[in-house]
Amino acid sequence: MAPEQTSCQSCGDSMKSPLFCFSCNSLQTISNDLDHFEVMGLPHCFEIDSEELEDLYQRLTLEMHPDFFGGASYEQKILSEKSSVMLNAAYSTLSEPVSRARYLLSLFPEGKKLQTDELPEGFLNEMFSIQESLDEMLESGNQSALDEMNKDLHKRHNFIESNFASLFKKFEPSSENTEILQQLHTQLNTERYLRRLLDRLNS
Amino acid sequence: MAYSEKVIDHYSDPRNVGSLDKNDENTGTGLVGAPECGDVMKLQIQVNPDTDEIIDAKFKTFGCGSAIASSSLATEWVKGKSIDEAMSIKNTEIVEELSLPPVKIHCSVLAEDAIKAAISDYKKRREG
Repeated sequence: MAPEQTSCQSCGDSMKSPLFCFSCNSLQTISNDLDHFEVMGLPHCFEIDSEELEDLYQRLTLEMHPDFFGGASYEQKILSEKSSVMLNAAYSTLSEPVSRARYLLSLFPEGKKLQTDELPEGFLNEMFSIQESLDEMLESGNQSALDEMNKDLHKRHNFIESNFASLFKKFEPSSENTEILQQLHTQLNTERYLRRLLDRLNS
Repeated sequence: MAYSEKVIDHYSDPRNVGSLDKNDENTGTGLVGAPECGDVMKLQIQVNPDTDEIIDAKFKTFGCGSAIASSSLATEWVKGKSIDEAMSIKNTEIVEELSLPPVKIHCSVLAEDAIKAAISDYKKRREG
């Protein structure tokens, strides 16, 4: 599942990211429909090498940032801006597990057929109760109860994230079976509600 | 984000916040959620079983100002209406009344869904 290596438009050397060539230091003219994984030269997998992503992002930013193209030609200025925008969007989406999972799911054409608002049985009821408890705790200023709730919710959130890798691994892109995708989608739905609670607790 | 005056009014002075006895056979409870933002909305109705008129309504919403305002408005609108009339309340009417911007239209959809869920719950419990 390794991505195709692109070749530099100037010197022909192979490049990790199609945005910039480190061999001859040149910005590349890029198509608008590169997805985030392609921008970072990564395979379309949930599991990625985070260090590799971080490292490439830093290196590309240092070469492509518009601040370094102040004296360059108009075309180069535009290109550095466009490429930097694509780079930042790709990095911010891929560097965080939940947004990465959501994004990867959106790339599968089978994803169109999913039940978009599905939740586990009783989940909404539970979220409502927790929100009510949170109201009470905030009103009474019960800090230890708030800390306990925060810890529990973080644990649940981490558990959801840890499931993504195994779920994505199980999915066969060519199969008709959308059950795994639906499970992923449902997990991602629950994440939103938990995230909402965590934001309230930590704001 | 610019909230309309009506949204601010409902948000700072919400009507009908609270709950009804969900075990009362003449009540219906609708609990709905919006997965795009994690909003949770509960809307309850008290129905006169002889006339099928909604005589009381309460809500509790955990969400943004527009979601709170939408559900507050929904409880105001269903009171005094028959079940059939309440079923025909459209989210577009809520959008218009509260001048909701496009990004908050889903809040009005949630309120419409909550009304329908409460009515559906009432009908189911009457049959059962």
